[in-house]
Amino acid sequence: MIELDVVLPLSRFRLGVKAALSSDTVAVLGPSGSGKTSLLEAIAGLRPKATGRIVIHDEVVMDTRVGVSIPPERRRIGYVPQDACLFPHLDVRGNVRFGMAKAGRSGLFDEAVAILEIAPLLDRFPATLSGGERQRVALARAIATEPRLLLLDEPLAAVDPELKGKILPYLLSVRDAMEIPFLYVTHNAGEARAVAHEALVLRQGAVVFAGAPDEALRSMSLVDPEARFDNILTGTLGAARAPGETGSLQVGEAMFAVPTEDSVRPGHRAVFSVAPDDVLVSTRPLVGISARNVHPGSVISREVSGATAWVRIAAGGLEWTSRLTRSAADELDLAPGHDVWIAVKTHAFRRLR
Amino acid sequence: MTPEDFSVLFLTLRVAALATLLILPFGIAAAYLLTRWRGIGRTFVETLLTLPLVLPPTAVGFLLLELLRGSGPIGRMLDEAGVELLFTWKAVVLATAVMSFPLLVRPALAAFEEVDPRLLGMARSLGSGRATVFVRVALPLAWRGILAGALLAFSRALGEFGATILVAGSIPGRTRTLALAIFQRTQIGQDGAALRLVAVVVVLAFGAVWTTELLTRRRVRRTEA
Amino acid sequence: MRKSLFVGCLLLAGFALGAADPKPEILVFGAASLAESLQDLATAYEAKTGVRVVFSFGSSSDLARQIQAGAPADVFFSADTAKMDVLEKVGLVRAADRREFLSNALVVVVPSGSTTGVASAEELAALPRIALADPATVPAGVYAKKWLTGLGLWEKIEPKVVPTLDVRAALAAVESGTVPAAVVYRTDAAISHAVRIAFVATDGPAIAYSLAPLVASKQRASAGAFVRLLEGPEGRAEFEKRGFLLRDDKAP
Repeated sequence: MIELDVVLPLSRFRLGVKAALSSDTVAVLGPSGSGKTSLLEAIAGLRPKATGRIVIHDEVVMDTRVGVSIPPERRRIGYVPQDACLFPHLDVRGNVRFGMAKAGRSGLFDEAVAILEIAPLLDRFPATLSGGERQRVALARAIATEPRLLLLDEPLAAVDPELKGKILPYLLSVRDAMEIPFLYVTHNAGEARAVAHEALVLRQGAVVFAGAPDEALRSMSLVDPEARFDNILTGTLGAARAPGETGSLQVGEAMFAVPTEDSVRPGHRAVFSVAPDDVLVSTRPLVGISARNVHPGSVISREVSGATAWVRIAAGGLEWTSRLTRSAADELDLAPGHDVWIAVKTHAFRRLR
Repeated sequence: MTPEDFSVLFLTLRVAALATLLILPFGIAAAYLLTRWRGIGRTFVETLLTLPLVLPPTAVGFLLLELLRGSGPIGRMLDEAGVELLFTWKAVVLATAVMSFPLLVRPALAAFEEVDPRLLGMARSLGSGRATVFVRVALPLAWRGILAGALLAFSRALGEFGATILVAGSIPGRTRTLALAIFQRTQIGQDGAALRLVAVVVVLAFGAVWTTELLTRRRVRRTEA
Repeated sequence: MRKSLFVGCLLLAGFALGAADPKPEILVFGAASLAESLQDLATAYEAKTGVRVVFSFGSSSDLARQIQAGAPADVFFSADTAKMDVLEKVGLVRAADRREFLSNALVVVVPSGSTTGVASAEELAALPRIALADPATVPAGVYAKKWLTGLGLWEKIEPKVVPTLDVRAALAAVESGTVPAAVVYRTDAAISHAVRIAFVATDGPAIAYSLAPLVASKQRASAGAFVRLLEGPEGRAEFEKRGFLLRDDKAP
């Protein structure tokens, strides 16, 4: 679907990305300054110094070897930068309509507005919007142009943690409802896993990994100090398992105690995330512990980076990522195959959607 | 105010307005193109465009005279075309336009520089060609600075003297603008008459600069918000 | 907002391109000392022919320079023949069209209320400052210099000279009291109420004004008519009334 063979000299290194991407959602991961944004801009056509070849859906968008380079206005690639970059002199309506052809397919406008739920914001100006609202408007603006590819640069980075949970579903609705492929830059491997089917990991402008998002974890832990590996759980909400508990989430065979809002209806699908920091690991069965979610499991892998150890554990039919200090991992002698128990507090579960 | 005063005033206003209108498209285009240009020649061109601001107006007038007189390069072409330029109101407009040009370009340039280039790139990725980007994004965001520059240029145009007197003389009713009239009246001892014109031009200039200040201040407030 | 700005610009443009003047007119460049007399004669001319006369008065040297640079004058009335010679040389006037019937006298003026006793050129040389039309090029100043050089006083006077752009500016300098004395034409002293003549330069050089229509004039007929009016009886009467001297046109 997307063939990349792009070279772009940057101030500190040379960006050189060669990859063939075939899924409809590709995550681009890597530490800050590894060239992820520059790669996106090069694909969008906003970096005149980029050379090489870019093919999107069989159309040669750029091939400097034969002197082809379609200008950005004709590439039909939507670009949503990290800070939305809305036009300050236009209201939301004006922003969203900006890229639409004069005849203005009102149908498309309405659809974009509906998916991103920005109808109440249409007459407001960007300066009065919150970070999350701006991101949604930027997204609507990009999709209103009917792009054949959407480039998203850390769309959830500038957004409050509570709101993250609200925007992620919008992104996925856009992808699913409009069938536009995504290139999604993020630091968060968990987000990548929830969203993408393929991942690229960049470091200093070079690709150090290309493949399944799950496996990107290994590269990420080595290269990205800001890497986050939230555990994402998708399941069905249910009533509390026991009196005094809040609610439950059924994920496959396992059931977890999760905090719920009052308005939830049992039987609803929901997505929760648990930070790796909140996953406690024990080599003994846990009793007399406050955490409500205790499950037996076994260690899958262990990655060490400095004083941090990332441990992958299979428990409750799922794969968990836990972050420990290296000394803890050593002391517990956590090695692949060892039996362990994991404990997660109810309130460590954060609802994404 | 005598009828002659009014005649001088209206001549000056007409000439200043025309000169400002004349330099508007060139000044805006030059300012915008300069912001997009990162090459070596840019400093050279910027310096060249700033020269009339710094050179003595009589020096500029002299250079214009040399270019436009019958024996000069442009003068020859004008003669052949039968166009009379020197010592007519057209020469006043030209001299004034040249002297006022930097006063328009510099604030316009600053205004365009203030426009976040990422916004321009965003517009292009949304499907706008370069010209559309200029019209729909750069210009609307920079218009205040441009207007301030135009007002400044207009104010300067009201008072142009040195270049004007060389290329247009001081022909009453045709080229004798406010500044020239003030000079002439002072020369022949008609101080009262001169003072009337001085009062008029002070009021005009005050109004123009005041408006410019207001515009600039609003711009600062907005970006801070 | 944008629309009103655009309309404003259009209005401005319309106003600027403004009133075109349909009445026929001729442009006369005249020496500063001729202002009043020419303006009077122009009124008569306009009444007679319906052609408006637009004047530009100044130093003959500056006017000649403008004409050479292409100024669209129809008639030139210079305060000396030297400037006209230059124009004739480059073909801007024809020898046959020149009329040199007008002359003047030099006088020294002081402010009306001044008690300074200046009765001769020697006493003039004793003053701290003297205003002259620029003696390098302006006819009145050139004549004054010739006069004073002839008396052997120029070297003494030169460092005290305040050069002005034309003879009326020299007159104004004395009127305002900024200089104690100036050398101007007798006709200039006559129109001023703020100066009095200290003495007349009886030993001054011969002064000859020169009048001619310009070859490049687009209103040859009107220009010629105006010149004829000036050299005719009506013109001569006016000049004499103002204190000018008439001379024999055929004289060198």
